[in-house]
Amino acid sequence: MGVFLEQLVNGLTIGSFYALVALGYSMVYGVMKLINFAHGDLFALGSYVGYAILVYGSCIITRTFGVWAGMAIAMACAFLLVGAAGLAMERIAYRPVTAAGRLPLVVSALGVSIFLENAIMAIWGPRYQAYPATVVPSVSWNIAGLRITAMQSFILLFSLFLMAMLYYIVQKTRFGAAIRATALDREMATMLGVDVDAVIRFIFFLGPALGGMAGIMNGMYYRQISFAMGWNYGLKAFTATILGGIGNIPAAMVGGLLLGILEMLGAAYISSAWKDVFTFLVLILVLIVRPTGLVGERIAEKV
Amino acid sequence: MKRFSMAFLAVFVFFAMSSAAGAAEAVKIGLQAPITGQWAYEGQMARQSVEVALQMIAEEGGILGGKEIELVVADDASNPKDSALAAQRLVSQKVAAVIGTYGSSVNEPAADIYEQNKMVDIAYGSTAVKLTMAKERKYFFRTCGRDDAQGQFFAQYAVEVMGAKRIAIMHDNTTFAKGVAEEAKNALKPYIEVGKAELVYYDAIAPGEKDFSPSITKLREAKPDVWYFTGYYPEAGLLVRQGRDAGVTCPFVGGNAAINSDFVKIAGLEYAKGSLLTQEPMPSDLDTPKSKRFLELYRSKHGDIPSSPWPVYAADAAFALAWAIDKAGPADSDAIASVLRNQMEGCTGVTGAIAFTERGDRKGVPYKMYVVDGEGNIVLYKP
Repeated sequence: MGVFLEQLVNGLTIGSFYALVALGYSMVYGVMKLINFAHGDLFALGSYVGYAILVYGSCIITRTFGVWAGMAIAMACAFLLVGAAGLAMERIAYRPVTAAGRLPLVVSALGVSIFLENAIMAIWGPRYQAYPATVVPSVSWNIAGLRITAMQSFILLFSLFLMAMLYYIVQKTRFGAAIRATALDREMATMLGVDVDAVIRFIFFLGPALGGMAGIMNGMYYRQISFAMGWNYGLKAFTATILGGIGNIPAAMVGGLLLGILEMLGAAYISSAWKDVFTFLVLILVLIVRPTGLVGERIAEKV
Repeated sequence: MKRFSMAFLAVFVFFAMSSAAGAAEAVKIGLQAPITGQWAYEGQMARQSVEVALQMIAEEGGILGGKEIELVVADDASNPKDSALAAQRLVSQKVAAVIGTYGSSVNEPAADIYEQNKMVDIAYGSTAVKLTMAKERKYFFRTCGRDDAQGQFFAQYAVEVMGAKRIAIMHDNTTFAKGVAEEAKNALKPYIEVGKAELVYYDAIAPGEKDFSPSITKLREAKPDVWYFTGYYPEAGLLVRQGRDAGVTCPFVGGNAAINSDFVKIAGLEYAKGSLLTQEPMPSDLDTPKSKRFLELYRSKHGDIPSSPWPVYAADAAFALAWAIDKAGPADSDAIASVLRNQMEGCTGVTGAIAFTERGDRKGVPYKMYVVDGEGNIVLYKP
């Protein structure tokens, strides 16, 4: 039982990363009907931005402001910078080709992915980098034999907080209504006076920014980062998006957390080598039974 | 005009004769090494090591009753394409035998060319098992160990020196890591039969992953006395940290790809220190009279001793070739190969006695146990 709970906590932690990255995928898909392949690399960029800020001047920020405040500063920077990168990406690589249809857009997204990965390699080098131990809290609690680290609980709680914020914005605010309207029917939204461009800018800022947050937390949690790390997480988050149901926010959250738990339990009770087989088998079964994902709404037929 | 060209010809013939006469005095051996390319550093140290070895051989009176050995160097630029060209060049230079080369994948095309041309070559850094085991090569030898030899060393060391009974072995399914792990497992069998050891965990992790907690939990529940990981440093660094965090307290032993300065960086010093690794002895840790003399000469020429284990094996290849050519003569490759296989009693190199198995592998390569000390340096382990 202890082992099971331990794996559950690990699964929830890794699931938080998937969920945050999946949110960005899902938002962009909902509005643009575009699978943004560069999203995983924005996640990696978040890791590296955080790394650059935290090791700056041999951890000067952490030593001046303390561990938690240092983390907050680095995360705020990663949020803004990766969000800005998302905006730039939309402006340079997507907007000019939107008119050409969906396929050129996907190719452009792959191009951005390759560009970002190599840019990270060019700036920070091909070797693995490591976050120094001093910039992350090393607190951990023992609850009835179950070891939970401060970092794990922080990741889980903060991810849930971010998701709740996002849910509130989309479901309860006026701008959120505009986002939902754009996702449902872009032409109609335009006619009714919704500023569609503003909506697109917003999701291209917020989606990557959330991915960047996942990236910096991933770096702090595992402390080892590499320029190619984005692809794997991007793929897993995409899977999580499909598992939950694409284009809606609670679905991406559920999909991400569930995927994390599935992976960990598969690895613990079946075999590490087979865990991806097990995960994708579950995905296939879900899609056979529910083509729109677990929480995905039924797509209304456009007559 | 005619007279001029006659004179020219005479001079030319004279020089050709004299160089031919010189050649009769010296025996030519080839060195194929990565003088340029990504492993240029290794190749250049190998050349320097071989030169020092040849100087030592000359000091001891040369071979075949006083003949010197002349070195012909061919650069393989650390890649297979240039390796084939380098091998062709050495064959056309008609050297008696060849030392080379460093990388396993670079060595393969060269080894095939030497085999076709019946020329003995002794590799000094190619540790891939397949070079001697995938197909039979009559003329290929190596002075370095085979990838899987460190697995045997680990099994013996863990049981006999560390006194470990419950042993955990982890690899990452790559050819190299799996080979080492399998070999360690095989070497444990005799100990398991007499009840001196137990293999409580044997599994793979996926390379490129970051979260190994399920595997680590399984490992912890197996309650091992020692934990051997044969994969590479990016995973090793994460494994040791996640393992310690999850409450795995037994000693962590890495293979020679698992532990280096990057491992220390990824794991963090507080987790990395005390980690052991199985590795070929570093030149600085060799302490026979012959190795002392070799290192002294090398230092006086180049300011410092070789910084990796491999160049020393190139020097050993030179000693082995000198021994074999001295016994078999420079012209007959079959005879040289036969001496290398069967008559090496008494031949010593920098790393100790040199002898080869029927397949051409080095007999009994001395591995040593190293440890990460409190400053993050990798030093010889003294239990």
